[in-house]
Amino acid sequence: MSNETIFGLWKDWRLHAVVFLIVIISEAIGTFSFSLGPGVIMILPIIYAIVFGIMMYFTPFINKKQSKKADTLILLSVTVFLGKIGLTVGPALPDIIAAGPALLLQEIGNLGTILFALPVAVWLGLKRESIGMTHSVAREPNVGLIMDKYGMGSPEGRGVMSIYIFGTVFGAVFMGLIAGLIASMTPLHPLSFAMASGIGSGTMMAAASGSLIELYPALENDIAAFAGASNLLSLSTGLYVSIFIGLPLTEKLYKLMTNKRNKTPEIPVQKKSVK
Amino acid sequence: MLLKNINEWILLFIIIGVISLVGNFVGYNIMSLNAIAGISVLIIISLISLVLNKVVPVNFPTIGYVSIIAVLISTPWTPGSDLILSWTNEVELLALATPVLAYAGISIGRSWTDFLKIGWKSIVVASVVMIGTFIGSAIIAEIILNIQGII
Repeated sequence: MSNETIFGLWKDWRLHAVVFLIVIISEAIGTFSFSLGPGVIMILPIIYAIVFGIMMYFTPFINKKQSKKADTLILLSVTVFLGKIGLTVGPALPDIIAAGPALLLQEIGNLGTILFALPVAVWLGLKRESIGMTHSVAREPNVGLIMDKYGMGSPEGRGVMSIYIFGTVFGAVFMGLIAGLIASMTPLHPLSFAMASGIGSGTMMAAASGSLIELYPALENDIAAFAGASNLLSLSTGLYVSIFIGLPLTEKLYKLMTNKRNKTPEIPVQKKSVK
Repeated sequence: MLLKNINEWILLFIIIGVISLVGNFVGYNIMSLNAIAGISVLIIISLISLVLNKVVPVNFPTIGYVSIIAVLISTPWTPGSDLILSWTNEVELLALATPVLAYAGISIGRSWTDFLKIGWKSIVVASVVMIGTFIGSAIIAEIILNIQGII
């Protein structure tokens, strides 16, 4: 990551003032929660902060240049945030080591993306895009993997990019909303959901574990520690799980699912080309 | 060059630190010397990590250094970890996340037009992708934690 162009960034008082105001307003509103059927939906200050941030981009206060400067500030503020997570993981290290097997194996649960989402994508009529879309949660390393393997303009590349864009814009909001909802609706233990919150994106983890903490305040430290540890594992192992298991599995399942469907239409197409 | 970088980082961290402390006060009613000490510790960890990322000739990410340093200084076996934690405990985790996401929102604004182009099918699939990984991981974690007798 290049830090060469950031000089003088601190002087952009308008950008900092906007963020300062967003933070004060978001924190002042506080968490807003309401029931939805058997579950609870929670809207945390961090979710207002994203939404206000996006809205500010479309006002004269923030221009494109400042939006690019924000990238550097995300990098710096996220290091502070991850430092705090690290300081939560440290004291819980004995517990985390004890739960090591669960932590390691739940990484495989990230393959749940394939089992749940690939059938949906194929059913919606998506072709090879669905491989790029569903082989992982499509964060930066996975976009790199797909581009490397299939190329920029390939259907797989387009697929992974569309999920990446959705994740970038809505990932944290979405995870914040569904983490609270799913956790309040299902009987699974909060610690299992804490581990599930670490999917390799700092902002999504913050939103998901934040909702869990609001739901189970007594378990705050454990939730943050397990989410943080799981996120670290996802960051360091996620790409390898995708290379060796995720992507080959998606390819296989895709072939299996489309062979049955396409057997009949494929034959006429071949005849045409022979003629 | 590195000194110029460090200088810039310190100024930016002061801005982020002040914003976080005010958020910590507005959202969680904590404003104390301990909180100021806590945020300073976090900033020092971040600074050391940024410098290591620049200086060490290995391709290892800054957030990797941050995590390792933070975990190592706070284990129950580390002398002095209690003192550091008594400071950082007064800085709420979510108060630190709010500025990150405010900056993220401003950055995300640029992707908005791309987002409008991706189509409803992609949105459906993306939602299932995220729910899938969350539930998939939670189920496996639940099973193994049960087998281990931890929960």
